[in-house]
Amino acid sequence: MTPNSTRGTISRRTLAKAVGAAVGTLALTHPLGTLAQDKVTIHWWDQFLPIAPLEKKLFAQFHDKNPNVTVEYKVYNPNEMGQALQLAHKSNQAPDVSTLAGIGLPARKLYEEGWFQKLTNGVQIDKSLPAGSLLEGFTNFDGDIYSFPTFSFRQYTTLNWFNKDLMKLTDSDPETGPKTWEEMRAAAKAITDKGNGRLFGWIFDLNFTDRIAVHLDELAQTAGAPGGIDPKSGEYAYATDPYAQAMEFLLSMQKDGSLFPASSTLDARAARTRWATGTSGMFFDGPWNIGVVQSDLKEFIDKVGVAPVPRPQGTSNLIHVGPQGGTFWLSAQSKHPEIASDILTLFTTSDYYVGLAEQMDQPPLDLDAVDKANVHPTYKQAVGFYKNEVRLGPSAVVRNPAVSLVNAEMKDIHPNLGEITQGVFSGDVKDYQAALKTYNDAMTAERDRALKVVQSKGQRVSQGDWVFANWDPAKDYTTEMYPKGQ
Amino acid sequence: MATTPESTSVPLAARGRRGARQGVLARLWADRWIYLFLLPTAVLYSLYTIWPIGVSWWYSLLDWNGFDQHGTYIGLANYREVLQDPFFWHAFEHTFVFALISVPVRLVLTLIVAVMLNNPRMPWASLFRTALFVPVVTTTAIIGIVMQFVFDPAGGPVNLFLLKFGLIDRPINFLGDSSTALYTVMVVHVWKWFGVTMIYWLAALQTISTEYYEAARVDGANAVRVFRDITVPLLKPFAIIIGVLTFIDTLKIFDLMLTMTGGGPYFSTEVIDIFIYREAFAATIPRLGYASAAAVTFGMLTIVIAVVQLLAARYAQRARRTS
Amino acid sequence: MKQGAAPSIRSPRGRRRWSWSPGIALQVVLLVALSAIWIYPFLWLVSASLKGSLELFVSGLDLVPKHWEWSNYSRAWNDAGFSRYMVNSIITTAATVLIVIVRCALTGYVLARYSFIGKRFVLGVFLVTIFVPEGYTIIAVMELSRQLHLLNSLLGITLALSAGGHVAAILLYTGYFARIPRELEEAAVLDGAGFFEIFRSIMMPLAGPVTATVAVLTFLGAWNAFFVPLVFTFSKPELRTLAVGMLAFQGEHSTDWSGMAAAATLSLIPVVLLFMFLQRYFMEGIAGAVKA
Repeated sequence: MTPNSTRGTISRRTLAKAVGAAVGTLALTHPLGTLAQDKVTIHWWDQFLPIAPLEKKLFAQFHDKNPNVTVEYKVYNPNEMGQALQLAHKSNQAPDVSTLAGIGLPARKLYEEGWFQKLTNGVQIDKSLPAGSLLEGFTNFDGDIYSFPTFSFRQYTTLNWFNKDLMKLTDSDPETGPKTWEEMRAAAKAITDKGNGRLFGWIFDLNFTDRIAVHLDELAQTAGAPGGIDPKSGEYAYATDPYAQAMEFLLSMQKDGSLFPASSTLDARAARTRWATGTSGMFFDGPWNIGVVQSDLKEFIDKVGVAPVPRPQGTSNLIHVGPQGGTFWLSAQSKHPEIASDILTLFTTSDYYVGLAEQMDQPPLDLDAVDKANVHPTYKQAVGFYKNEVRLGPSAVVRNPAVSLVNAEMKDIHPNLGEITQGVFSGDVKDYQAALKTYNDAMTAERDRALKVVQSKGQRVSQGDWVFANWDPAKDYTTEMYPKGQ
Repeated sequence: MATTPESTSVPLAARGRRGARQGVLARLWADRWIYLFLLPTAVLYSLYTIWPIGVSWWYSLLDWNGFDQHGTYIGLANYREVLQDPFFWHAFEHTFVFALISVPVRLVLTLIVAVMLNNPRMPWASLFRTALFVPVVTTTAIIGIVMQFVFDPAGGPVNLFLLKFGLIDRPINFLGDSSTALYTVMVVHVWKWFGVTMIYWLAALQTISTEYYEAARVDGANAVRVFRDITVPLLKPFAIIIGVLTFIDTLKIFDLMLTMTGGGPYFSTEVIDIFIYREAFAATIPRLGYASAAAVTFGMLTIVIAVVQLLAARYAQRARRTS
Repeated sequence: MKQGAAPSIRSPRGRRRWSWSPGIALQVVLLVALSAIWIYPFLWLVSASLKGSLELFVSGLDLVPKHWEWSNYSRAWNDAGFSRYMVNSIITTAATVLIVIVRCALTGYVLARYSFIGKRFVLGVFLVTIFVPEGYTIIAVMELSRQLHLLNSLLGITLALSAGGHVAAILLYTGYFARIPRELEEAAVLDGAGFFEIFRSIMMPLAGPVTATVAVLTFLGAWNAFFVPLVFTFSKPELRTLAVGMLAFQGEHSTDWSGMAAAATLSLIPVVLLFMFLQRYFMEGIAGAVKA
C-alpha cells in the first residue's frame, strides 16, 4: 500500500494494469511497438473437466490472434465451485467468466444481487444461435442478453448403461439391452444368479442423493408423471402413483439381491469406476459416462452398451425437461467485458459443437453436430434416444421471471427426494408413500410461504404461474405457446 | 531493554502490598510490560474466538443465504426451528453417542496396551509403540479415504478376511448400512488416535516407581492384583485429565466423518459439525443464520453438560472427603 | 533434561534383559497382531499407489501389484500439484506452531507470575471459552477473514488455525511457569536484567518441555487440519494443504483413485520420517500434557 492512497485499496488487478500501462509507455519508445497494448488476463472458471482440452484449444487460438490476451483457466470440482464463486464475489475476486455450478440460487436472483454484466455483443450472439435459445429469466434479464446455452435441453440422465459381456448372461439382447422395467429387473437377476456372488446385476450411486433424485424423477416420468410439478394443475406431483411405482421398481432389484453391495457408499464417480471393473451389469448415468470411460477407463470401452431409460411395459411416455439456462456468465466485477464477450462467441460456432460432441459430455446445443463428430457409437445412440424421447416442458420462470424469486426464497426441505430414496434403500425410511406425501406437502407449504414473501415485496406472482392449460405432453412447449398478457 | 528494575518485574508476593498503595493508572503504567506480553493473545484471541462467538449470536438471529451482503433479522425463528429439527437432534445424539462409546473404549484398550508396553521386560516395546502411533501423524482425510476401501463390502480386505476365515457368510456393508456406519467410524477413530491416549497412559505409568512392583512381586502378588491394587489407585489422578483430553479429541470428528461417510447413509453418521457444514456450506442455498443457531445451541448444550459434569465430580469428591 | 523437566519416557536402551516367559510371549503375540492391524492400511495404501485404477478394486487381499504403475507418482506430484500442497502444508503448520508457542508462552508467563488489574477477567474469559467447538466459530471466522482480505491466503489459514483457541496451551504454560522458583529471577533482577530479558533468557529456556508439548500437539492439529483449509481455499485451489489437496483427484465425473493413493503416500513420507527421527520428543511432548 502506498501511503498516499487515500482508501488504501489498490487491488492487485489495478496495480497490474498500472504496471502494464507503464511498460506500455516504455514500449512506445521501443522499436517493438506491439507491446503497446495492455496485457489482459481473463480469469475463467468452469467444471467441465472432460471438455477442458477443447476449451484450452479455443483459448490458445484466441491468444494467437490477440497476443495481449491470456486466459487463466481453472477447472473446478462442481461441489466446491459454488462455494468458491460465492466467496470470490464477496471478496471482489470473481473470475471474469464462470459457470454457476454448485450455486443453488437461480441466475435471475444472482442478477438482482448484481453478480453479472450483460454481454457486449449480445445481438451478434443471438443471431448465431437457433431461434428460441435465449429466454427471459434464463439467459436474458429485463430485455438484455447475459448468457446463452451451449448444451441441448434434449437430454436426460437415466440412460441405462450396461456391460455387454454380462448382458449375454440374460434374456435381453446383449447389443441393445433391456427396454422395460420388467426386462431390466429380470436381466439384473439373471446376472446376479449366474455370478455366484461375484457378479451383481445393477450398481446404483446411492451416496449421491441429488443424482438419484433425478433418476427417480425420470423413471417416474416414464410411468406417466408429468415431472415434479404438474403443468395442468401447478401442484407438486411427488405423492402421485408414478413416483411410488418408480421407487417400487428400484427397490425390487434390491430385494432380488441384484444391487451391487457397496452401492450405498458410492457417488457417481466411484460407481462408474466400480461398474467398469466388470462386476456389475447395469448403471444409470448421463451421456458423459462414455466420455469418462474413453478418457479414464479405456480398457473397458468395448464392453459398453447403452439402452434408453427403462419404462414400464407398454408405455411410451416422454421425458419432459425445462429450458436450458445460460452456461457461461460474465461477472459484474470483470474489467474486460468486451474481450470476454469476444471469447464467448467462440462457444457458438459449429466447430465448437462438433468439438464438444467429441468430448462426449453433455450433448451440444446443435444435436446434429453429433453426426459430424467422431464419437463412440453409444454416444450417437444416446443422442438418438434424446431426439425421440425428450420434450421441452413449460417453465413458470419463462412465463413470469418473478417465479425465480420464489424459487430463491424456498428453503431446502429435508429429507428431499434423493434422501428419501437413499433412506428407503438403507431401510431407514420404512413407508416411502408416507415420506413422499410428507415431502410433497412440505414443498407445497414452503412454496406458499415463499409466494407470500415475494408478493409482500411487491412482485406480481401466484401459483397460477405454474399452470399451463394448453400443455400437450406430446409436443415441445415453445416460446409462442406461453400465455400472453402477464 | 528500557525497563528499570523497580518498575514491573516484581514477583507475585511483593506486589500485593505495594499495589494497593499505588493509583490505578500508575499501576497500569508500571505493569505495561505485562500488558505488552498479553497483547498478541488479546488481539488475536479477541478477533478469532471472542468476536466470532459474539457475532454468531447475531448471525443466528438472521435469515441469511450468504449471497446477500446482509441477512434479514428474524428474531428467534432459527432457534425455534433448530429445536424442532429432528436432524439437529440426531446430529446431537450421534455426536454424544460417538463420544460416550469411543472415549471409554479408547481409555480401557490403551491402558491395557500401555501396561503391557510399560513392562521393562517386554521385547520390542518401542517397535510396537511406534507402530501403534503412526496413524496419529497421518492426515485424517487420507485415512478416511483408505478406510472406505478397507471396509468395502465387495472386495474390501476386512470382509475378504472375515469371509476367508468363515467368521461371516455374507459381506457386511460396514459403512453403507445405517446400523453399522457410526460404529465403523468409531473403530477407525479409536484406531487413529489410539497412540495418543496410549502415550498419555505410558507417561502416567512411569510416574509409578518400580519399587512398588518389586515389593508386590516379593509379596507374591499376581499381575491382576498388582494392576488392581497398585496401578489403578496410583493412576486415578491422571485418569481424569486423560479422559478430558480424549473427550475433546472425540468432539473433533468432522474430517473423518466427511471423508468416510459424508454423514450418510441417510444421516446416520451426521454429527454436529457435518450438520453445520451441510446447512452453511454444502446446501444448494446456504443458511448461515440457521447453521449459526445450530452451532450456538450445540455450544450451549455442551457447556451445560460440561458444567453439570464438573459439579457432579466436585460433589462426588466432597462426598468422599466427608465420609 | 533441564531442571524441573518432567521425567522422560524411558528409552529402550539401558533396560534389563527381555523376558520370554509364557505370559510375556502371549502378550507379544497379541501386540504383533495389533501392530499388524495398525500397519495394514498403510501397506494397502502403498500397494494401491502402484496399481492401475481398475486393479485397485479387484485385487482383493493381494498387496503386490500386477504391473507396477510408477506413473501414478509422477501424476500426483506434477499434474495434481502435490509438491505445492506439501509446501503450503509445511508453511502453514510451521507458522501456526510458531505463533501458538509465542503468544501462549507470553500469556502463560504473565498469568503465572504476576498479579495485575484484569487478571481475573482474562482467566475467566479463557475458562468460559475453552470448550467452544470449531464448527461454532467457522462461519464468523470466514466473514472476519474476508473483511480483512485474508480469505485466499496462507496467512489467513495460519491465523485461523493459530489465533483463536489454544487455551489448553496457555494453561500448560501457566501451570509450568508458576512452579519455577522465584530465586532464579530475583538473581537476574539484581543483575539488572529487564522484564523481557528475564523471560527470554531464563524463563523460556526452562520451559523447554512445555514448549515441546505445545509444539507437538499444535503440529498434529495443524498438519491434520481440514475444515479451515477446506473453506479457506475454495476459490484458490493452489493454496490447498495436503489434507485438502486429496480433493484435487475428484473431477466432475471421475476420481483418480490410484493417483490419490500415490499422493497420499507421498504426503505421508515426510511426516512419518519426521516422526521416526523425533519419536522421543513426540512421545515426551504428548506425555507432557498429562504430567503438567
